[in-house]
Amino acid sequence: MNQSIQRQSPNNVSLLISQSRTNTLGNKTGTWRFVRPKYQEKTAPCSNECPLGVDIATVEMFASRKDYQRALQAILMENPFPAICGRVCFHPCESACNRQFLDQSIGIHHIERFLGNWGLSNKHSQINYPRLNGAKIGIIGAGPAGLSAAYFARCLGYQCDIFEKSDKSGGLLAMGIPSFRLPDHTLTGEIQRLNTDGIQFNYKQSITMDQLDTMGQSYEALFLCCGDALPISLNIAGAMHTIDGLNLLRQIRKHEAPVLGGTVAVIGGGNTAIDVARSLLRMGAHPIIVYRRTRNEMPAHPHEIDAALDEGVVLKECLSPIEIQKESNQLQMRLQVMKSGEKTNKGRQIYVPDGNHSETMPVNHVVSAIGAEMEIMWRNDQWDLSMSHCQMKNKSDIPVFWCGDLTTSEKTVTHALASGKQAAIAFDILKNKGPNEIHSLCHKLEVGTGPAMSFEIYRQGKRKQRSNSEIVNFERVNAAYFHNIPAVQVNRLSQDTCLDTFDEVISGFDESQMIKEASRCFNCGICNDCDTCRIFCPEMAIQWDQNSRHILMDYCKGCGICIAECPRDAMNLEVEP
Amino acid sequence: MKHVLEGSHAVSEAVRLARAKVISAYPITPQTHIVEALSEYCADGRMDARFICVESEHSAMASCIGASSAGVRTFTASSSHGLALMHELLHWAAGARLPIVMAEVNRALGPGWNIWMDQSDSLSQRDTGWIQLYCETGQEVLDTTLQAYRLAETVNLPVMVVLDAFFLSHTYEPVDIPDQQSVDNFLPSFVPRISLDQENPNAIGQMAPPAYYMEMRHSIQMAMQSVLENFIEVERAFEKVFGRTYGPVVPFACDDAEYIFVMAGTSASTCRQAINTLRDKGLKVGVLRLKMFRPFPYQDIRKSLKNAKKVIVLDRNCSFGAGGIFAQELRSSMYVSDNHPQIYSYISGLGGRDITVDHFFEMLDRTRKSDYPDNESVWIGLNP
Repeated sequence: MNQSIQRQSPNNVSLLISQSRTNTLGNKTGTWRFVRPKYQEKTAPCSNECPLGVDIATVEMFASRKDYQRALQAILMENPFPAICGRVCFHPCESACNRQFLDQSIGIHHIERFLGNWGLSNKHSQINYPRLNGAKIGIIGAGPAGLSAAYFARCLGYQCDIFEKSDKSGGLLAMGIPSFRLPDHTLTGEIQRLNTDGIQFNYKQSITMDQLDTMGQSYEALFLCCGDALPISLNIAGAMHTIDGLNLLRQIRKHEAPVLGGTVAVIGGGNTAIDVARSLLRMGAHPIIVYRRTRNEMPAHPHEIDAALDEGVVLKECLSPIEIQKESNQLQMRLQVMKSGEKTNKGRQIYVPDGNHSETMPVNHVVSAIGAEMEIMWRNDQWDLSMSHCQMKNKSDIPVFWCGDLTTSEKTVTHALASGKQAAIAFDILKNKGPNEIHSLCHKLEVGTGPAMSFEIYRQGKRKQRSNSEIVNFERVNAAYFHNIPAVQVNRLSQDTCLDTFDEVISGFDESQMIKEASRCFNCGICNDCDTCRIFCPEMAIQWDQNSRHILMDYCKGCGICIAECPRDAMNLEVEP
Repeated sequence: MKHVLEGSHAVSEAVRLARAKVISAYPITPQTHIVEALSEYCADGRMDARFICVESEHSAMASCIGASSAGVRTFTASSSHGLALMHELLHWAAGARLPIVMAEVNRALGPGWNIWMDQSDSLSQRDTGWIQLYCETGQEVLDTTLQAYRLAETVNLPVMVVLDAFFLSHTYEPVDIPDQQSVDNFLPSFVPRISLDQENPNAIGQMAPPAYYMEMRHSIQMAMQSVLENFIEVERAFEKVFGRTYGPVVPFACDDAEYIFVMAGTSASTCRQAINTLRDKGLKVGVLRLKMFRPFPYQDIRKSLKNAKKVIVLDRNCSFGAGGIFAQELRSSMYVSDNHPQIYSYISGLGGRDITVDHFFEMLDRTRKSDYPDNESVWIGLNP
């Protein structure tokens, strides 16, 4: 096995060393092993926070490799509308991103937006829908929840008839979000994805509760995705002088808005209030947001509040309107001064009137944006099935699913999309396995700690092999492999120009920025083929062939170096069976 | 062209000029300046070399072994505890017959923590199979480092270029930095006798059972025995290009000397000053500086000391229980000579303590008054 070599140097210096040309294959170091490494992918914290459970680590991996097709497919597996969500989602993924503990979170929504745009401009986002299975479902409402229910149900083979009250799809996306956050062409482009045989849009069809029984004869299930269509109005003297915020946004979108100049008070602290105020700025008015609590309690997303204040919206805190009086061309709004009281048992700060302190604010208009609620006919509190994002009641022998804002506690576009997905999956299980299987099967689809569910797992995709409930926190990332790289700053319209137009404020990443940002991703919990395990294996027991990595158990001695070195916790050490 | 350089940077300049390809080191005082400069050379492109940062001296030497096995010129530097941590791999480098060059700045070992001059660290590595060359001046450091590569690559043994902490490593002196062309003439690019080859895969340093091992050890010894003649060859070639030569031992006023001091390192400079004073007084004294310690240059030492009555060995080290290490080596080398001189062993200057001219006067005085050397080394300059 061994041989020694003797070489003479020109000056006859003795040189004798041992040398071997035989290989070490005869030495089966695998016999030493009592623990064994295993490739075991896990859930990244970003995916755990995503209401749709998008496999973000995989998306960023493909995006960084410029494999946009696969990056986009990974998103579309869980979310039908990346170009929309890249713009309007509140991106909780970024607050969970492990990278923030090294430098800054990944700009996940900007990457998603780039991929969504890429899909729209390259027509690469066509879905290969399966053959129809013969079953038909009815969907009431073409907002985010209804579109999502249709998308996922169609992906499961169901024929979907959508009934929409207005003359176009999108719901809140089309009517309640201004175009400087979500342009028309993006919205329509994304909805095009649902243009397929088996999805039928029926516009100007207003459905009432009474019609459901009749409809039940044509469909195997109904999905109520009507949203909160009823604006909540101020219950104060002079409320008739207010303008409804959601309606105003709809009018602006349709270019039918009244001319509103001068000082405009916007009552409310949600995203609608913010969107109204920013729209008013663009119309030349001076909006003042009047909120009864403080900025910290505002339900609007913090980055939206920041954007509004940056643009010049004024925020007045701890003021609650008690009366509006019309005086010639002006409105006098009397405001009760509020002060902090106790905290609720959920920890939310309560605000109470500060005695008789009040002030008067002269304004030209008052817009009320204090929220909306479901129409009374949809109210229900007895369920045959209750889940995190949808609820179901059997009506005339068919299941009726309440989706989106009708049931979700958090009223966001992303939660509505998650609701449609959950309802479609729940119905499929109900139809194929019966009602008793829904909870246990859905539990197996959960990403991380839930309640987000993965459609890919339901479809028995590669993600099913993961240890989905295990979340890779920063302590499990091998930070030695990463060095400080600041986040890429996104392009946006300048402060001056953005107020002259309803054009998008954020113009997003260009390709090189996107690749740079996606490359910052740790790809927590997934194997991104970095090859560190193979390079470090002292027995060369990790082999790379046919595009996959496998461990030669004859030689793996169970030292665990591959696991210790793996930068992203995609391997486990297990006791030898 | 002459520059005012600190001893550490004399090493760095030599390594740059030698066109080393892989440098791997871990910082430790008083060595750090050497690799600090080299890391900058690698970073700014003045050297076409890879600087490998490592987490320990053990890994630094391991990296050098790997790189040298792959057939490129390599360099590292260390001191004291760092060198001690390398110990296992020092054996490996020599056993694998790799021509690695290292600068070793003599520093004391703790405890108590001490970063100053002491020879214990390098002498503790005397049996590892490394050639050891001790320097006295910044110029000698630069020259010896260049020579070390040619010598190492000729005999396939690693070389340690040793310099005193601070007295040499941090002292600025005028040093002639040769031009690249002259260095290239003296030190052509490295043609390895051993190297890994991807086209012809083989493993080196494999198992050597009893039937092979002993011959390999014998081969190291044979190579060591050839070092002296090859060193002289290297020095001759160096002299042709640069006009400077040192020799394995450096005698001063030894020819007619009755008393000869023997030592290594910068204390020889102080000693020469003492000898000038003593000669003025009519005393026949000289100094023999040992440049080469491994292999031990028996013949040159015997030749230089043959007329002396008494030899005064100064050790800046102590092998506890046996005394000064240079003295022991000297005794064993002189034992076989007829009429060999008496050998007096003195220990002084440990942990950076100064050795002054007066200390040499004291050593001479004691030696002259004594008929026979003590069994044990005598410590000079202890606090009262």
